[in-house]
Amino acid sequence: MKMSTYKTVIIISLLFSNILNADDILNEDSLENLLNEKIELKSQIGSRDRAKNYLDSSSPVDVITASQIESSGQTQLTDVLKYFVSGFNATTSSLTDAKDHIVSFTLRGMSSDQILVLVNGKRVHTSAIFIENTGAISSGTTHVDLNTIPVISIEKIEILRDGAAAQYGSDAISGVISITLKGQNGTNEITTHAGVRKEGDGSHYQLNSFVSIPLNYDGFFNISLSGDKQYQTQRAGVDKRVDPAEVHTHIGLPDSQNLALVLNSEVVLENNIVLYMDSILNKRDTQASAFYRTPSDSRVQYPDGFLPMMESQILDYSGTLGMKGSFIHNWKWSLSNTYGYNSFDYNSKDTMNYDLDPNSPTSFHLGKLIFIQNSTNFDLKKKLDNFTIAGGIEYRYENYQIKSGDPASYFESGAQGYAGYTPEQEVDTSRNSYALYVDTSYKSSQNLTAQVALRAEEYSDFGSTQNIKLSLGYKILPKLLLRTTISTGFRAPSLAQSSFSHTSSVLTDGVLLDKGIFTVDNPVSQSLGAKALKPELSKHLTVGGVYQFTNKSSLMIDTFYVLVDDKILISDKLAPTTQEQIDIFNEYDVSTASYLTNAVNTQTFGIDIKFNNNYTFKGGSTLNSTLWYNYSKNEIVDFNEPLSAGRVLIIEKGQPEHSIKFSNNYKRGKFNYLLNLNGYSGFYQSIGDTPYKFGAIATVDLNINYKINKAFDISVGGDNIFDAMPDKWDKSNVYLGYDGIIPYPSNSPVGPNGAYYYLNAKWKF
Amino acid sequence: MTIRGFIILLVLITNLHAYQLEDKLKVAIIGKIAKFVQWNKPATQNFSIIVLNTKNQFFKTLLEGKRVNSKPIKVIYINNINNLKDSDILYISQSSSQNLQSIFKAIKNKNILTISDIRGFAQKGGMIQLYTKNQKLKLRINVNSVKAENLKIKSSLLRISTLVKETK
Repeated sequence: MKMSTYKTVIIISLLFSNILNADDILNEDSLENLLNEKIELKSQIGSRDRAKNYLDSSSPVDVITASQIESSGQTQLTDVLKYFVSGFNATTSSLTDAKDHIVSFTLRGMSSDQILVLVNGKRVHTSAIFIENTGAISSGTTHVDLNTIPVISIEKIEILRDGAAAQYGSDAISGVISITLKGQNGTNEITTHAGVRKEGDGSHYQLNSFVSIPLNYDGFFNISLSGDKQYQTQRAGVDKRVDPAEVHTHIGLPDSQNLALVLNSEVVLENNIVLYMDSILNKRDTQASAFYRTPSDSRVQYPDGFLPMMESQILDYSGTLGMKGSFIHNWKWSLSNTYGYNSFDYNSKDTMNYDLDPNSPTSFHLGKLIFIQNSTNFDLKKKLDNFTIAGGIEYRYENYQIKSGDPASYFESGAQGYAGYTPEQEVDTSRNSYALYVDTSYKSSQNLTAQVALRAEEYSDFGSTQNIKLSLGYKILPKLLLRTTISTGFRAPSLAQSSFSHTSSVLTDGVLLDKGIFTVDNPVSQSLGAKALKPELSKHLTVGGVYQFTNKSSLMIDTFYVLVDDKILISDKLAPTTQEQIDIFNEYDVSTASYLTNAVNTQTFGIDIKFNNNYTFKGGSTLNSTLWYNYSKNEIVDFNEPLSAGRVLIIEKGQPEHSIKFSNNYKRGKFNYLLNLNGYSGFYQSIGDTPYKFGAIATVDLNINYKINKAFDISVGGDNIFDAMPDKWDKSNVYLGYDGIIPYPSNSPVGPNGAYYYLNAKWKF
Repeated sequence: MTIRGFIILLVLITNLHAYQLEDKLKVAIIGKIAKFVQWNKPATQNFSIIVLNTKNQFFKTLLEGKRVNSKPIKVIYINNINNLKDSDILYISQSSSQNLQSIFKAIKNKNILTISDIRGFAQKGGMIQLYTKNQKLKLRINVNSVKAENLKIKSSLLRISTLVKETK
């Protein structure tokens, strides 16, 4: 036998002896050491069974813990998810009306409204903001405003990368993001954050606190407070419409102020009944801008030009009140009510209405959008030997309102920047839905797990839907789990999609044109052939597996296929072609019109490959590494309505198809280092129907934390520390062009803001 | 990657300080706790651990036959507290959370150490409670309950535990 063969035999022997003696090691260890052992990371998402090791789930699940969030140095929830989850995309944009005031996000290349978000297991309401801009990835959607939830209040984030409408109802198509708020045994702390962009702008300051008050029988009352101030970045190019050419328009992060309060409590009674409540209150004010209006001698007001400033006040609150306990024979029950409210109050200043010149107001109230959601749930669960049977009923009420702005804001051409909502566009519409669901799971002693979930739902506006999910997991080897799920799903058209309408003047190639989005039942839409909205229907298949080399090292590979019928989009801007259409368009004073429609059928497929490894060095230092590759391909397979090439491009190639993350967390003594490498493949955006490609981009994030003592620690870090910037438009143009007002694409996964450097400090008490 | 490189990678991967299964680690900790407790009852042949209302097999695989105070551990699973005759440790699973007071009544004055991971167990009159904090298991001890059953716990265990009082 050669020397190298001996070595191999020895190494393999060591390897197996290490595994086989795990129980003995546990028995020999001291109690103090056992109390320092980390236990498996558990997840609850995707099953109504009790929480279990996330690597044993029959659906692909990822878990982000509070300590990972803390190590990352990230201060916004969308940034945390973008930091850790490959295939999660979040973009900020400018000059996109209301979208400037909310961060849109996608998972696995699908739409922003195809993600369900839960807090403490309860459905989160969406924002009232309807994304009108057809160039945005999230165009035509209303989605959850994730950044209303301060990260200091979060104990754990679970991401289910699978369809789950048969379990949770509407929206759970591309996945579910489940947030668990800090519960019992939390550590009181105050944290501060201060950072600035490499360019010297975009300063960001944040102050957070978390206090946990223990109650009897391990109950708790937790209070999280978070306040932050974001100063704008400026990445606009010069405006060549004026002489001399100078930067006038604002592009980049907007100015914003945010204040959030989170309460989370459980009161445990002596009879084991638990009263639970949580509440999230968020108030955010944001200031963005519209396009700069060039000087004009024909105006009395602002003859030297003006930059309309768009201001929003967003108020978001939600609250859950519930109780849970056990009946006889260990039937567990839970009764809860969750209320959610989001309002978007839209204003502008430093602007005018051309049709009121020279007496136009210079500031306007443009209107208000409100969304309310109330869910009442009753759940039952019972464990019977190898079976767990769970089920429940849900009643949900939703309401959407549009309130009109000042008369001057919508008079004739309306306020410059964004015309106010008119009284005709006002709406106060509601619907309700009932759901009945059953979720059963079986775990055999032979390492087979099977799950069947059924959910029937009745909506007052579009009727009923029934969905099913089958999951199967089988450990063909003690360390190898093979898993598959097959399911159907749906997404109910949001009330905003059914009832939103707005008309405005848009600068197109230097000319102001009146355009409008109309509800499907509006005569303008009807003249164009609009039909009542139907729910999006989906079919899902996930096949994959997990290999656990040890309990601290795993490889997950999951492939997925999602087919969505009747995806709802804003139609193309359509001009009238018949005399009847021309008459109706003239009546409504618009030159082009759009409406919401079940425009296309899409398919999305791809793969996630995730390797995680924790290594403990001699001396106790540890290295936790995760390498995660995601491929997501989105395609339109059928058109129910014609769609311009530019719109098709955004759906099919508007986001990177390949993304990769390589995260390394090294702990040694009082230091904790986190190095994150992110790579994204190229993507496309269009001007009109002409596609433009933007190249692949890579960024590096670094965070170095030093524990001064048990109570204090400080961090210094940076995101995108080498200041990677997206490609500029490959075109010379006054507006969208490398030498124009908007040099960078709005849908870049990295954004045009550049490197960000920060300092964090924490005091535990 | 060469075969040699792959083998080295495998060794690196497997030579790890692994995350522990929660159910398994709880049992290992219960086995250790026994060494910090002094019972005041006539000597028996075995050290007995009664496991109430759970089939957690780690009690058998990890503890059965191991020794506490020179006596081999015997693990007995029961589903009804009335079937309990005598024991050194009684582990009460979460599915018994509704019946805690009747369990305490049934074992009163029997010099049995009670351990559980039921929420609020120590404050409800149990002796040692296991709970989770930052992905680690911790201990809560109700010293009054321990004293009431004429048991003694070493100070070294009390030092690494949180002490609580019963809530009336």
